Amino acid sequence: MAVAEELRPGIAARVLGSPSLRLAGRRLLAAIPVLWGVTFLTYVVMNLLPGDAAQELLGANATPAEVHQLELQLHLNEPFWVRYGHWLAGVLHGNLGTSVVNGENVTTILGARLPLTAELLGYAFVASIVLAVGLGVLAARKPNGIADRFSIVVSMTGLSVAPYVLALVLIYIFAVRLQWFPAIGYTSPSVNLAENLKSLTLPAVAIGFPLFSVYTRLLRADIVEQMQREDYIVTARAKGVPPWRILLRHALPNSMFGLITLIGLNLGTLVGAVAIIEPIFSLPGVGAILIQSISDHDVPVVEGIVVVFAAVVVVANLLTDVLYTALDPRIRYERSAS
Amino acid sequence: MSAPLPELLAPDAAVKPVAARARARGGWARGLRLWLPAGFLLLMLGACFVWPNIYTLPNPVRGSVLEAGLPPLSPGHVFGTDPVGNDVFSRILYGGQISFEVGFAVTAIGLVVGGLLGIAAGYWGGAVDTIISRVLDVLIAFPALVLALVIAEGLGPSELHVIWALSVFSVPVYGRIARSATLALREQTFMLAARLSGTRGWRVMLRHIVPNITPQLMTFSLLGFGVVIILEGALSFLGFGIPLPEASWGSMIAQGQQTLSASPDLVLIPSAFLFATVVSLNLLGDALRERWAI
Amino acid sequence: MLALTAAACSSASSSSSSSAAPAANGAPRAGGSLTVLEATGYSGDWPDGLDPATNIDGAADQDYMDAVYGELFELGPKGAVIPDLATGYSISTDAKTITLNIRQGVTFTDGTAFNAAAVVWNINRDLKSACTCKPTWPVKSVTATGPYTVTIVLSAPDGAFIDEIFDSTADWIASPTAVQKMGEKAFAVKPVGAGPFEVVSDTLSSALVLKRNPGYWQKGRPYLDNLTFKSVASDEAGYEALLAHEGQVYVDMSTPSLLQQAAKNSSVEVENQLSTSPYDLQLNTLTPPFNNPKARQAIYAATNFAPILQHVFDNMYPSVQGFTGPGGICYDPTASGYQGYDPTLAKTLVQQSGLDQVTINLGTIQNLVAQETTEALQTQWAAVGIKSTIHAYALAPLIAQFTSGKWQSMVQTAGSFDPAAGVGVGFRFSSVSPFSGVHDPHLDSLLNQAAALTDMSQRCALYTQAANYIAKQYYGPFYFAFAPANVAVKGVVGPGLTQPLPAVVVTPTVLWEDVAYSS
Repeated sequence: MAVAEELRPGIAARVLGSPSLRLAGRRLLAAIPVLWGVTFLTYVVMNLLPGDAAQELLGANATPAEVHQLELQLHLNEPFWVRYGHWLAGVLHGNLGTSVVNGENVTTILGARLPLTAELLGYAFVASIVLAVGLGVLAARKPNGIADRFSIVVSMTGLSVAPYVLALVLIYIFAVRLQWFPAIGYTSPSVNLAENLKSLTLPAVAIGFPLFSVYTRLLRADIVEQMQREDYIVTARAKGVPPWRILLRHALPNSMFGLITLIGLNLGTLVGAVAIIEPIFSLPGVGAILIQSISDHDVPVVEGIVVVFAAVVVVANLLTDVLYTALDPRIRYERSAS
Repeated sequence: MSAPLPELLAPDAAVKPVAARARARGGWARGLRLWLPAGFLLLMLGACFVWPNIYTLPNPVRGSVLEAGLPPLSPGHVFGTDPVGNDVFSRILYGGQISFEVGFAVTAIGLVVGGLLGIAAGYWGGAVDTIISRVLDVLIAFPALVLALVIAEGLGPSELHVIWALSVFSVPVYGRIARSATLALREQTFMLAARLSGTRGWRVMLRHIVPNITPQLMTFSLLGFGVVIILEGALSFLGFGIPLPEASWGSMIAQGQQTLSASPDLVLIPSAFLFATVVSLNLLGDALRERWAI
Repeated sequence: MLALTAAACSSASSSSSSSAAPAANGAPRAGGSLTVLEATGYSGDWPDGLDPATNIDGAADQDYMDAVYGELFELGPKGAVIPDLATGYSISTDAKTITLNIRQGVTFTDGTAFNAAAVVWNINRDLKSACTCKPTWPVKSVTATGPYTVTIVLSAPDGAFIDEIFDSTADWIASPTAVQKMGEKAFAVKPVGAGPFEVVSDTLSSALVLKRNPGYWQKGRPYLDNLTFKSVASDEAGYEALLAHEGQVYVDMSTPSLLQQAAKNSSVEVENQLSTSPYDLQLNTLTPPFNNPKARQAIYAATNFAPILQHVFDNMYPSVQGFTGPGGICYDPTASGYQGYDPTLAKTLVQQSGLDQVTINLGTIQNLVAQETTEALQTQWAAVGIKSTIHAYALAPLIAQFTSGKWQSMVQTAGSFDPAAGVGVGFRFSSVSPFSGVHDPHLDSLLNQAAALTDMSQRCALYTQAANYIAKQYYGPFYFAFAPANVAVKGVVGPGLTQPLPAVVVTPTVLWEDVAYSS
């Protein structure tokens, strides 16, 4: 009521207030060198991979003249910085290069596979967040109660289990023994939505269970801390506001900030997660092609994937940062600076 | 992998209320929460590093093909053998050596290098902080696994390369924790006193900052250790880590996966050890955090 | 064996219709959808698409190619040559001119006519392509000498031409109109042929969805309405998918323990195929260390395959000393003068040749059987002082290894239904093959002579000589005549699934038009 209104002044007022905008601007400027740094690091690292790209593209029967011609075209014999410049220019124009293995455009390859991976990750995230909120709130309501103990055990398991092991166990139990979900393959949502969700459930659980565990722990700890520490909550309780209400209307939304930041930071590790999980389930996504391309020394494809993912991570972090500070600068800015 | 960000994973400094209650509840449960995982880890360390030097185990890589595919509890092979005849039990122990070595090396490098960078950034602030933080940001945004895979593919798979590759990621992670912890310390009165009294920078860092942030770093490092073990397992699982036929829990799981329907124990046994080790590290980290009220 | 060879090498044209009879399970019934699973690393990949002229994976993808294009001639049960889109052939006495009779009344699925002109267009296109998969005949000309007659003139005699067609991209005829209209890139993803099935959708190296070709030349075929191929990660993944009812057939299972498990499972049937391609260890004689014959002999003496065969493979396959297998022609399991297992001699040779000073790069294909075999070898060799590191490659990087010339030793399969064909002996041991580690004119001449003749007993005599020569020069030890098995759920019948087939290229081609659910 009155207490509640005091706590959340109009969002519009906050955003338009100049400190936030300046902060956002600063963050954006800071993100650019990071993005550049990632692309540069990618390029440097990929050059570690041996392999004669022109020869591989043309095949064994190419004449030395043909190979030389292609090398000139792809700038393969030029010094490192020149090649990097060409590649970077290409990236900025949306051209991520051509695959060494089959000559296809990297953009096309990614475009075909990204929807699957995006859906898989979205599924994993949404499920893990929703469940984490549910369990975290239940657990925090009564620290050391039954729900809390359960949440501790479950999240400890999720933190300690390796995703690849979890995937194998899930396949064995749910696909082979119980036949509730498919073990392999992918049905596109345009063909059959129910089948599509079924085909992504086990991989989403394999990716999402560790995430769920982390989020649950964080939420629980954060909510408990707020319920016992924050002045405004103590005040509210003293005034007789029911605990559930406080939890859901104040403690939880505030805890979500920490969660959102964590999610943003987690994104970077997800390339690794899909790279491991997708092949186990024979899903033709970005992760599967990444592993394949590294084995094949298909440098352009690997570079393309890394750049795209890194860009997504940086942008996501930028957004969460801005959101974070814009919505509640007073508390959050202090906290993040300390 | 899904290595969550440290300072948000290790729940905030103030989960004290819960700890206080637990303290009131009873010492023996707390003791158990500490010593059970610690004991298991000591047991594993002993088994992996000490026992093979005392007691001759079957060779983990030179198994005779005459004993291929034996089930667990076969005479002479308590955990059975793999499809080319290597003894699974000895592969578990030698694989454990790899896990602990890689975990220890990567964590140590992270603590020392990352820790120093983080402290420097936190203490001096300004341009130093900006540069270091940007570099750390770049490293964190870069997908860890991809770098490790490329290094393994480019330089050839080996334990040393795995350590380098994973260290590139542990450094920024510890760096960020050290930096936040240092920033938190910087404003405290004893720090101001030290600066006012003219103590030189690095002495302040060494005598005041390091001892104060060490507990936080140490408890986190147990969690980090577990993450590194899982990551090493992932690399070996994909074939980019410890090369066959050397034993690594990850590659044992990958190999076992190929015959899961016929001999599931080849997956279950290394998975169980992997899980038990990482759980113990996590539990130990939590228990220490609780005890030191960090 | 004589019956086999007679059937395979007749020089008169035959005009019988496709004959593969379904096996004991019950009569085939029309209709139904079948999903076939194949493992990545070999047959489960088709990264370059399915155009015969550009598909580097070549014969590894024969299942898909055969389903979409059909074949001019098919290799059927008991080694019978089955005319499919061609009705017959004749070979001149000097074995330099081959005449093919093309079936009349056939159309591609895009409606255009299937005739001699189309066949000629295809074969010329294949010969001109830059693909390592292109046919290796010494062709002077390929012309249409009639609306349904193709004449191929060679510059050197080749008596094994028809046997070589099975392994060759020339067996698959693409619609010239479609290639020109769609452009090569698009065509490779959605190919158009005259086979029993046509393409609905194709996700490269992942899923190929086909449906019945209503205009297929053979009435009443194919039995199936829908045929889908899906790529899985391994034998285990395929087996799990079968058990989870996500597929009905798994092609090319080779993992011994899984085969034993499947054999015990009453819901599936395991069909062991007839081997034509023994596992061998190729040694690169063009570079050190194996340019030294003593080093090569050391390898022979250091290897004892009997215990490996028994304990890893449960004695499922016969051990051989040459490149022929029980499913093919000219089968002879022994070679005279073959250096057998002798660890004492091995140790001496290792020291004499300096083999203990180097670490050998031991390569193989990314397949469990190959990898297990290689690991077992590594262990055996270590016992006599030979150090090695193992590299397992998927098909494309494996090809790259060969073409770069940097390999030292490679566990592969050599041999084919006819040693002159495809992944036969020449593929692994002739001077002109990029996949060979041997440049020996004497061996070349033996193999060329054998290929040129049409008389079976003469050919077999020459192949025996070749095997003995390879043993004498220690060009590469042979291990066992391996053939993978196909696993199908009960109720699915067909050649290759409930009837064994000889393997064309390591793995046999299932005749998909004859596969059906049994009533």
